[in-house]
Amino acid sequence: MSQSAVAEVSLQPGRPRRFLKPETQTAMLFLLPSFLGFMVFMALPILASLALSFTNWQLISTPSFVGFQNYIRLFTVDPAFYTILRNTLFFAVEYLALNLVISLTLAVWISSLKRGKAIFRVIFFLPTFTPTIAASVVWLLIFTPDGLADTIIRALGLGLPNFLLSSSWAMQAIVLVTLWANVGYNVVMFNAALDLVPKHYLEAATIDGANAWQRFWRIRLPLISPTIFFGTVMTAITSLQIFDEVFAMTRGGPGSATATLGFAIYQKGFTNFQMGYASALAWVMFVMIMALTILQFHMQRKWVHYDD
Amino acid sequence: MKVLKKTLLLAAIGSSLFATASSAEQVNLTWQMWTGSETDTKSWQHLAEMVTAKYPDIKVTLTTTGWVDYWTRLPVLAASGQLADIVSMQSLRMPNFYSLLEPLNDRIEADKFDVAAFTPSIIGGMSVDKQLYGLPYDVGPWVIYYNQDALEAAGVPLPKPGWTLAEFTDAAKKLTKDGKYGFGITPTNYSVLAAAWGDKYVNDAGELDLTSASAVAAADRVIGFAAKDKIAPLVPSGGADPGDVVQGRFNSGNVAMYIDGPWSIIGMKDRAKFKIGLTTLPRDEGELSAVTAGSGFGISTSSKNKDAAWKAIQVLTSPEALSYLAEQGRALPARTAAQSAWYKVAAKDITNGGEAIDYSLAHSVPYVITNNWAAVENLFNQYFPLAFAGSADAKQTMESIQSLAQQ
Repeated sequence: MSQSAVAEVSLQPGRPRRFLKPETQTAMLFLLPSFLGFMVFMALPILASLALSFTNWQLISTPSFVGFQNYIRLFTVDPAFYTILRNTLFFAVEYLALNLVISLTLAVWISSLKRGKAIFRVIFFLPTFTPTIAASVVWLLIFTPDGLADTIIRALGLGLPNFLLSSSWAMQAIVLVTLWANVGYNVVMFNAALDLVPKHYLEAATIDGANAWQRFWRIRLPLISPTIFFGTVMTAITSLQIFDEVFAMTRGGPGSATATLGFAIYQKGFTNFQMGYASALAWVMFVMIMALTILQFHMQRKWVHYDD
Repeated sequence: MKVLKKTLLLAAIGSSLFATASSAEQVNLTWQMWTGSETDTKSWQHLAEMVTAKYPDIKVTLTTTGWVDYWTRLPVLAASGQLADIVSMQSLRMPNFYSLLEPLNDRIEADKFDVAAFTPSIIGGMSVDKQLYGLPYDVGPWVIYYNQDALEAAGVPLPKPGWTLAEFTDAAKKLTKDGKYGFGITPTNYSVLAAAWGDKYVNDAGELDLTSASAVAAADRVIGFAAKDKIAPLVPSGGADPGDVVQGRFNSGNVAMYIDGPWSIIGMKDRAKFKIGLTTLPRDEGELSAVTAGSGFGISTSSKNKDAAWKAIQVLTSPEALSYLAEQGRALPARTAAQSAWYKVAAKDITNGGEAIDYSLAHSVPYVITNNWAAVENLFNQYFPLAFAGSADAKQTMESIQSLAQQ
């Protein structure tokens, strides 16, 4: 009797285990290509750059270990580092705020249209798949001294200096071009989210006397907040990495007015051949982005609404 | 059957001997070179074939990239062990890359190679600490190109070699009106002009010293062209190379004079619609010191065919090769004797072309640079535009660049 009971017990757990195992193994096999790709092209290079950030590699010399020298230099010696940091954060904050406000405004406007929604979505999305470097070169021509922008500014009597030559306005040129190039992505995403807000919620609110303003803030905004959260996180990450527009339009100038972390990494690494130092800068950027993203995920509990 | 076996055996032995002999004699060299056009590439290919014509057992395989890409790829190729046997090198980048090249002084001495046949300033440019690392093929003193039609229309006398800063400034002011400018200045012109005036920006120890009195004084003059005299248009620190921007303005007739080297003549003739003249950089009270740059060919330290490469670069810089380049208008030869051929072809339609070059070469000095000169030039491009716009003075600008260049 007891032997029989033991046998029964051992059979019972065995069956589920055998049942699950083949599926798990199959899933692992299917994941392997992506996983290997991630390891080879993402994880290993990232670890390599961490190792490099402790060397003085100059590309044509043999790297030698220098401990934390690159980081010490970064934080205590380099006169440009804090300027670069300030420029990057300033750009990220301004660009992020303007991007979200403008894209949300445009998305709401498009969703209010009776006709032509698709056309306007395409129009605003077009700059998103225009190559950034090529578009920035065109904007460089527009902003060049005595160019189109200067002509328009003079004609309107605005009294603004040339953007590329003014240390206070050069970053605004970068913000403007980056907004033009990228706001369309969020417009399309937010517009799609707005279209998913159930119509009967809005109809019920209208019946109860809510006006358009109230319907937006009380119903539509909360219901699309997960999408806004996603847009905020992604836009914040890309704004901290800003490089293309700076490289094509201002090369970090005039002076150091538009030098950003992304540009400094390129300049130190591929122009000055200070690969170890460039890797240290890259890790500072990585840590900043990670910290910001963690903070955003932490704070989302306060303003992001999920239907449960 | 026995006869067949013997025949096969002999054939095998024979093939083996031929193969051995062939592989012992034949050397394949690779050569890395920049190029700006298909015509450029053909010129270099012609030189590669001249090597084989002289040494039938040496074959040179040319690989080319654009100018900018060349310098991005060079350290990557070096780091991955894929450098060519023959590496082309510009004098201004020699301090960065000389460690990739074989020192040549011993070979020159052993073979009694005649270095004196080359313009001395470019031998200096291709040397580091008195050691030569590449044989030069061209030499380029910086000169001033002017729009002769514009000067004549404004009643400005055509400048003579050896003209002074005062004469230059006066001419530029007369040429500045109606949205046109007398002169086109770029940030990297600073060191060219400072050297022309005898002002030092590198100290006797070879270190960058932009905050010395003479360096700041030179900066003040250069900045003054745009900020004070307003004889030059403002050039931003943008993605377009400031030199290209100013050259474009010159070709379109917007600026009447600008600084460049002889290497630009060949392309300029097709683009400018006016008569072009050439003259020297303006001198200060003292004699002109015209800086030169140029390029040449070195032997990679990692090459397994150094002896063959040495023979090859002697052919690539031989009188015949350099005369060919001169007749093509491709380069002002580094060999003094071959320079007249260039005047007859490339400088033929340029007013005072030969005289300006002769005078500059007779007063030429090597371009004094530091081992991080590319970084210094980037900082010039970044910081001078603020000064040109009047937002920073010469001292501030030089102090900023000095502190950043030391990083």
